[in-house]
This record gives sequence, C-alpha cells and structure tokens, in this order.
Amino acid sequence: MSWIRVCSTADVPANSIKRFEVAGGIQLLIVNYGDGFRALPPVCPHMEEPLEVSGLVAGCMLTCTKHLWSWDLRTLAIQGETEKPLRPYDSKVENGDVLAFVDKEIVYEFDSEDDMDDDDFFK
Amino acid sequence: MTSSSRADALARIRPTDREGPEAHASPMKITVESKSGILDYQCEAGENLLYAGLAAGLGLPYECATGTCGTCRARVMSGEAELAWDKAPGLAYVKRDKGEVLLCQAHARSDCTVRVPAKIGPPSRHFATPAKSAGVVSKVARLTHDVIHFEVALDAPMAYDAGQFVVVSTPAVTGGRAYSMVNYAPGGRQLDFVVKRKPSGGFSEWLFSNAVEGTRLDLFGPLGRATFHPDEGRNPVCIAGGSGIAGMLAIASRACQEGYFSSHRGHVFFGVRTLADCFYMEEFSRLVSQSGGNLEVTVALSHEEATSEVHRDFRQIRLASGFVHEVAAKSMAGRFENAVGFVAGPPPMVDGALRMLIMEARLPAQFIRYDKFG
Repeated sequence: MSWIRVCSTADVPANSIKRFEVAGGIQLLIVNYGDGFRALPPVCPHMEEPLEVSGLVAGCMLTCTKHLWSWDLRTLAIQGETEKPLRPYDSKVENGDVLAFVDKEIVYEFDSEDDMDDDDFFK
Repeated sequence: MTSSSRADALARIRPTDREGPEAHASPMKITVESKSGILDYQCEAGENLLYAGLAAGLGLPYECATGTCGTCRARVMSGEAELAWDKAPGLAYVKRDKGEVLLCQAHARSDCTVRVPAKIGPPSRHFATPAKSAGVVSKVARLTHDVIHFEVALDAPMAYDAGQFVVVSTPAVTGGRAYSMVNYAPGGRQLDFVVKRKPSGGFSEWLFSNAVEGTRLDLFGPLGRATFHPDEGRNPVCIAGGSGIAGMLAIASRACQEGYFSSHRGHVFFGVRTLADCFYMEEFSRLVSQSGGNLEVTVALSHEEATSEVHRDFRQIRLASGFVHEVAAKSMAGRFENAVGFVAGPPPMVDGALRMLIMEARLPAQFIRYDKFG
C-alpha cells in the first residue's frame, strides 16, 4: 500500500469531518481544521464513538462530545483531561486532493488487542 | 485469552442469585490494577464496588454511578463479583465474555482483583470524599404537574460542591437514582432535590404516588465533577433543561452567597416546554436581586411563544422562545469570553448545548462541564 487519494479538498469544508472508505474496505475520516487536513481512524480512541457524528472541529481543536476528549489537530497535543492520543494516517494535499498513506489499517487498542489483555495493559 | 480462561471469566460474573451477598461476612480485599499502578481497598459483602473504592479515597473513573454511562468498566481478573442490575444499559460498553463488569453495579463475593483501564489519581483536593449517608424525607412539594421538589434531613452534615449529585435509594424502589443538589448549604443537614415524573420511572412514580414524608433514604455522595469554583474566576454560563436546572440553582446560589457577582457575570438559561412548566422562579428572582444585575436568568420556551420579554409574575426573569441552547447562543453572542459552561438536561438538549459551546462559543473542553447520565 502507499499514498492513496481519499477525496478532493473541496469535499470536506473547513471545520468539518467526513468519512470515506478506501481500498481494502478501510474506513477513515478526513478532517479539515481550517489550516490543514488530518486522516484519522473513524472512532474516538476513548470509547469507540463514531467521530464523524460525535466529533466537532473548531479553532483547530477536535473534540468528541461524548466525554469532551479533545486534541489540537495542528500538533496532535492532547487537551485537558484527554487520556489517549489520536493516531492519524500520514496525509498531504496535492493538486487539490487529500492523500493518506495507508500502509495498514490503524486500529485503536480496544478493537483488536483488547486494552485489558495481559501483555499491553501497563504500557 | 484461551477458551478455558474465558469460561472461567464467565463463571466469575453471575447475576445476583439465591445465596445473596450475605454469604461472605467479613470485609473483602479488592485489588485494583490500573494504568497508574496497583492499589487496594476493603469492601463489605453486598457493598457496591465503585462506592466502596471512592469512599476509600481511590479516584476510580465514573460518571453516572448508576449503570448507564459505562465509564466505570472493569475486568474481574480473579475472585467473584456479581452484578446487581443485570440489564444496566452501561453493560453495552463491557465485554461480559471476558469477565468485565461495571463497578457501579458490582458486588464482590470474595476477595477480587479488578483491572481498570484508566489512570487512577489520588483523591481530588477539589472535592469532598464521597461516603454513605442517610436521612429522612422532610418535605415534598409539587412544583408543576410533573415536577416534585423534595428535601432530605440528613443524619449527619455533608460537605459538597455546587453542581454535585448524590445517589439516592430506598428499599421501596430497586436501584439508585442520581439527583443533583438544588440548594448550596455544604456542611448543613438538609439537601434539596427536584424530580421530573417519568412514565415507568420507578423512583419518580414512588415519589408522586405515595406519602413519602418521613421515609428514610440511603444516600451516597457527593459525586460529580461538573462543579463551580469561584477561584477559577470565570463567568458561569448555565444551560439546563427541565430538572437539569437543579445544579444550576446551586451554582447561582453559591456565587451569590460568596459575592461572586460583584466582580463577575453569570447567565442561566432554563429550557422548558411552556411557561406553566417552569419552577424555582422565586428562588432565581431572589438571586437576580442579590446579584446587583450581574446574574441574568432566561427561561426558554420550546413549545410556546413568549408573549413578553419578561416573566409575567417574575419581572426579573427574562423570557424567550426556542430551544434553550439556541436561545443561549443568540443571547450570549459575543459575550462568551472567560466563560465556563455548565450543561444538564435531557440528552438531545445536552448534545445541542455542547455543540453550541464548542462551535459557537469556542470554549475549550476543560471549560465545559456536564455529568454524563446517558
């Protein structure tokens, strides 16, 4: 896998989030935070809320309204009481398209490796 | 996990059965494996695992404390725990085949080790440590056709913050209910609450249908972090629907009691369907008077046109038509600087208010406070 065209920059207006399916059936979100774009897995890393529904983008901050976890999309810095980082796909804009580097699907730990299973719990 | 250990986990979570929690008489040791290390506390037979841990001073994660939100998810690694409410909606968030429970619905049947997928901080200096308490229903007053105010005379004084809640239970109704304190009198012996009648709502039906004055209630609290602290120096903007106004009255009361409105502004937006549905108008009018004009209280009518700009009987209360978060957005436009938002009410209203505070008010998440009951 490599750089994949996900959408046109015009498909995702400033301060909005849209979900796309790319090759291999992988779902990802393209977030336009005004100053740029991020390509993210489709759920909140906290409790799997679908971020295209629960997420809001304002002032370059992404906030999940379920429990108010929040991240600065410019730096990915976590805000306030947020406990887990976002894990974006690398992304870039070329010729009016948003591209993401999809090597393999990024899945937060609660999905495949359960976060309370032995080996990775205390990490 | 191997299939045999999964079967083992299944055996560990059992719904409450005929033996009852009294089977184990002496205190049990609960060991907590968390992202910040290993801690332990003692728990009596039949005692709620979340409440026992919080009372022991552990900063266990929780939001609703009554089985709905799923925040207190934990995995029983060894020992036996049982679920008090097998149909708690919050169980949708747990993997029961892996031995997971909601601590707020679990009782230990033996010493247990539980895993909590969160960091457990030290007890907050901000909040009083919650504890079991009890009291007597000292007064019940109907405020509207479907809202009741009731007061509890506590056996012992309780310290709490404006915006906090307690879990109230009575043997007459299965399970506990979370109610925010309406009054702000920390260290006092009286707590006031407000309840909206809900079809098939066990506790509200009990309150509405019985002469409950004099009935003893069990309480656990104070709980909740959607609290107002004058030392933050921010202007409270409270957006509430229906009985969600409880904590907002406590917040406005605290601010008035401490002279906060001599140097800060405050805004309360109270959403109801029609003028006949609003309550606590006398209390809010008194606070507006005390605030020297720096507290504004607006009632938003969602199902009735406001025919004047102020309440016909309470001239200090403003009136507006529309959903409460829309009324708040319009009224507050350009005035959100240095605000801290408080939100409580039915889920669609809470969602609308959160969106407004994030998208329009541009409040950072740490200055938006609400307790998740849904």
